[in-house]
Amino acid sequence: MPLRLLKFGLVKSYPESRMFRQRDRLRPTYDAVIIGGGGHGLATAYYLAKDHGINNVAVLERGYLGGGNTGRNTTIIRSNYLTPAGVKFYDQSLRLWQALSETLDLNLFYTNRGHFTLAHTEASLRTLRWRAEVNKHYGIDSEVVDPQTVQAACPHMDLDCGGAPVMGALYHAPGSIARHDAVAWGYGREADRQGVEIHQQTEVTGIRVEGGRVTGVETIRGAIATPKVICAVAGFTPRILDWVGLRSPLKIHPLQAMVSEPMKAWLDPIIVSSSLHVYVSQTARGELVMGASLDPYELHSTRSTLDFAEGLAARMLDLFPFLSQAKVVRQWAGMADMTPDFAPIMGKTDIEGFYLDAGWGTWGFKATPICGKTMAETVARDRNHELIREFSLDRFSKYALVGEKGAASVGH
Amino acid sequence: MTLLTSPLADVLRSRPGTRQELNQMSVLTQVPDPKPAETLGLADLSYLTRFGVKGPQSASWLSAQSIPIPEQPNTWAALPEGGLIARLGRSEFLIEDGPDSQTVPRLAAACNSPPAQVYPVLRQDAAIALCGQATQNLLRQTCSFNFQSLNLTEHPVILTTMVGVTVTVIPQPKSHHPIYRIWCDNTFAPYLWQTLAEITTELGGTIIGTQDFIPYTGQMP
Amino acid sequence: MKIMTCPINGPRPISEFITAGAVKPMPNPQTADDLTWADYVFNHDSVPGVKREWWCHTPSNTWFIAERHTRTDEIVRTYLWEAA
Repeated sequence: MPLRLLKFGLVKSYPESRMFRQRDRLRPTYDAVIIGGGGHGLATAYYLAKDHGINNVAVLERGYLGGGNTGRNTTIIRSNYLTPAGVKFYDQSLRLWQALSETLDLNLFYTNRGHFTLAHTEASLRTLRWRAEVNKHYGIDSEVVDPQTVQAACPHMDLDCGGAPVMGALYHAPGSIARHDAVAWGYGREADRQGVEIHQQTEVTGIRVEGGRVTGVETIRGAIATPKVICAVAGFTPRILDWVGLRSPLKIHPLQAMVSEPMKAWLDPIIVSSSLHVYVSQTARGELVMGASLDPYELHSTRSTLDFAEGLAARMLDLFPFLSQAKVVRQWAGMADMTPDFAPIMGKTDIEGFYLDAGWGTWGFKATPICGKTMAETVARDRNHELIREFSLDRFSKYALVGEKGAASVGH
Repeated sequence: MTLLTSPLADVLRSRPGTRQELNQMSVLTQVPDPKPAETLGLADLSYLTRFGVKGPQSASWLSAQSIPIPEQPNTWAALPEGGLIARLGRSEFLIEDGPDSQTVPRLAAACNSPPAQVYPVLRQDAAIALCGQATQNLLRQTCSFNFQSLNLTEHPVILTTMVGVTVTVIPQPKSHHPIYRIWCDNTFAPYLWQTLAEITTELGGTIIGTQDFIPYTGQMP
Repeated sequence: MKIMTCPINGPRPISEFITAGAVKPMPNPQTADDLTWADYVFNHDSVPGVKREWWCHTPSNTWFIAERHTRTDEIVRTYLWEAA
């Protein structure tokens, strides 16, 4: 690495190639088309090429790479979920994450911080115990700890929390954060190296379905024939499902977040309080990344509100009163596609060749690698991967929901 | 006889001042220095007796008890013997006695076995009053509703939220500055009171007793 | 601050309201088959556009209908159910 760095200082022109090639035109046919150039779509493209040798693939992105929810989340990675299906799935994701910087040969700033979910009531403590037991059963490092342990790991926290004292916490040692943009770039670069084409500024305007089977997609740059379409577009999913006549329970809510000015490193672990509706971590750059609940009503927009910033700031001060003079420097929103059971919708659909990777609501970033892996296999073999079988769209008509709400960071 | 407790009894316990038993409740009637209330005064009027009634026949039943009925929802009227009646919806009413009237005990007795479609509602609200020149300032800090847009001669009743607490507010026009009556659910009362009290102090006002409040009310409750 | 107009209480900040989601007709629970019922319970028309939604002004507990554009957040009009 140091030798590689040296050439940056010695040569006149920038010595690295671009992360991926700019393709000037679309081919008339592809073996598969992925709609959505976010982490999930690019990871799926990467694993399709890498694991299954399918590289005649186009990733179509209406904006720019990683500009959707991949670049709008709070970068928390954890696997302490509530249902067996969820725990197994996110555990595999975490394992992929741990090796991902190596796999993609790109520093993702993946740092293991430890993750505390605070309980301020007996009821939430009870849910945390339940989660700890499910987690332990599946071999996940997860335990309920007392307030003193929390204080020792985070001396700056006011355990009294403005009158709702911390009664305990779920501690998840593998909890980590990563540089979210780099994840999209890394998967994009490696997919590109495998021959996958990435087309930015290429909005899809329709999907061709004949006799219950996908035959192609229409884009603002012309039509493409393809037998397989993977839809990984988060907040835009309902519009695409409408084209192909599929019904879904997805509801789109903005999810906002904000960061503070950079400050000296003082917060090592990731702190989540479901009662206070706060989650926070400190980046390598020193900014506090803060998130809270979804906006309270359906909206297909990424606008920010002052109400959100005020509310989140007030609750941050309950946890960390010394931050009262800290400045907020950025605020943004993503469009979260929420499901009623807080689990994703993945895999095959009633339309042959149309694969769905949706319902990622507020929990999608941490699943990026495993989504790519399982969706790629599902597409390559045209059979739902074992890990995502319970996440299929038809679970709703079968009343077979995967109740994951209790594992959401904050009570949405 | 059991002594009743104001929802604000705990937060008022340590305030110095004169206390008196009124309507079976121990009430802070006078504080040593009520003067800053000319700027901003905050009083606990929870001791005033209150009666709620709802149901399709509640308006006609109240009329039969010789209670004047405000015509529009979200308006109020003064009761002839003192106190007020607020129309909270098409068929829901809140009646509160003044310091000297006895309307509520009479209605409660008459409603012991209520006729069809008349349902008594237990009202254990905290009742708060604000007076002084700085009331608008306090309201702006705690509530998103613009009280200055109101025409007080129409006797409006405002259902809104203050610092996140659902409240019923009645502004009453007085000589210089309107006074504001505020009712809220008793469980939220200490939080609302403490927030209002903090801001009142910041703005140079004070907490006052029920007697201290009388000069600000004129003839009203 | 976003303002919504309650048909009874007038214009108020959006924080005074909650929504119960789209207005949708309920199939007869006695006669509907499982698929129809699941569709009613779970599925949602999420394509952005002007939608009819149930809203409630919480301080006065006034339930009403709002027609709102779910992409621009423009509130087209609000009215009581009876007036519909």
